Amino acid sequence: MRRPARTVTLGVLALSIPLVVRAQTVASRIASVRDGTVRMNFDSRPGVCGDGEGNVWIIDARSGFSDTRDPCVPGPVRVAIGRSGGQTVSVRSRVGGVDSPAADLDLGNVPAADAARYLLELAHTLGGRSSNQALSAAAFADAPNVWPEFERLVRDSDAMLDSRKDALFWLGQSDAPTADLVHLYDDLEPEPLRDHATFVLPQRRDDAAVDKLIDIARHDRDLDVRKRAMFWLGQSRDPKAVKFFRDVLVR
Amino acid sequence: MRRSVGALAIAMVYVVPATAQTLSQRVQTTDGRVEIVYASRPVACGDGRSYIGHVFGHTVAGTGVYQRNSGWPERPCLPGPIRLEATVLDGEITHLRAYVGPLATDVAGARTIEVPAREAASWLGQLVASGRSPVAGEAVLPLVLADAPDPWPLLLRVARDDDRPRAVRTDALFWLGNGVIDHLGLDDRASETPDDEMRSQAVFVLSQRPRDESVPELVEIARANKHASARRAAIFWLGQSGDARAADTFAELLGTR
Repeated sequence: MRRPARTVTLGVLALSIPLVVRAQTVASRIASVRDGTVRMNFDSRPGVCGDGEGNVWIIDARSGFSDTRDPCVPGPVRVAIGRSGGQTVSVRSRVGGVDSPAADLDLGNVPAADAARYLLELAHTLGGRSSNQALSAAAFADAPNVWPEFERLVRDSDAMLDSRKDALFWLGQSDAPTADLVHLYDDLEPEPLRDHATFVLPQRRDDAAVDKLIDIARHDRDLDVRKRAMFWLGQSRDPKAVKFFRDVLVR
Repeated sequence: MRRSVGALAIAMVYVVPATAQTLSQRVQTTDGRVEIVYASRPVACGDGRSYIGHVFGHTVAGTGVYQRNSGWPERPCLPGPIRLEATVLDGEITHLRAYVGPLATDVAGARTIEVPAREAASWLGQLVASGRSPVAGEAVLPLVLADAPDPWPLLLRVARDDDRPRAVRTDALFWLGNGVIDHLGLDDRASETPDDEMRSQAVFVLSQRPRDESVPELVEIARANKHASARRAAIFWLGQSGDARAADTFAELLGTR
């Protein structure tokens, strides 16, 4: 009776070990450069394209919205990592285009999931533009299983607030169910993160998001967050939202 | 002899005392900057040089209008007369700017004309009703500020007049809305609750919907909602709408036509 269970456990381990090793490989190879620049490329997820100069477009699978223009190349994601004193101090990314000028280490094409996890881990400690670029590059990666890492960053109270807000934004753009975002909202602190969620949720354009925004507008402990939720509800043009406004006015 | 009489008559025409001239003539015979000083509404205040406070719950500075309790400005808001600075070029008024509060002491080079508030209001009313833009629009605020009979009937005419510049009609409608709020006694925000803030926000959000949907709803709220905060917000956003139905609603609420 015990043997099958053990076999399953070993199987899980066997599956996960190569991922860890590969991710470590990306991290350890980058760590081998004490001072200088490391370059790597990886596949972008379907629907993401760029002009190689920093502009990126996403074809929204939910709405079918596309704001593409020529030339829009579907990947790869190109990342340049700045190292100083053995630390990663900067991240710059773009989609499409050609390789940037020479780097101290060129990793070439790396697995998208490994690169995304490395960049997400960086975002826990980096701030500012580098964190923003690391997170967007991770979000553009053809790595569908990294979204829990974005949620982990949103919940990380030691990370910079802007990084957490960016992670929340990209989580909102992901394929994660709206129910996950709704559940996450209840744990969001401080207030600016909940305020940001009132912007992220309506991008979903679905019933669950509208219901949650109405709930926030009714019950959030911060009046400004309630008012912001109401504003974004108004942008939805959803009949439930209009009914809610009328209810507020007659209560 | 006949010639001398003619010369005397001409001299008499050109030495008409200043008091017999209209305010409009007195301003327009100036070249450059002239200041018209007249009494303001008793509640109005300002620092005499940058902002005007307590104008139906608003503070005005430059071209911006700020809601009360915004934490701005820093200098004390003191009662005082209106000092209306007019720039005149070749007999044409090109710019008006109003101040309330202590009179500035550094007005070197500017001619000052002190007039009763009613006279100033009459002149400003003419500018609003028939003057050129942008001066006609700039005349609305100093008209509203004057310690004179309410200018609402005139502003209603202007707001409904398709021949007046759009900016003037917009200004007229904005201040009419504030007049309605004052007339109905809806401006007391001292006891506002978070629910009132949510009601105001709900009205704002409704006002952002397409005009055909939002204006009738705002009209209904302005007329009959049981909450002062909701009515006040609806009247305010109607005043921003530029819609003729807003002027009709304001006329109804003011009890005028």
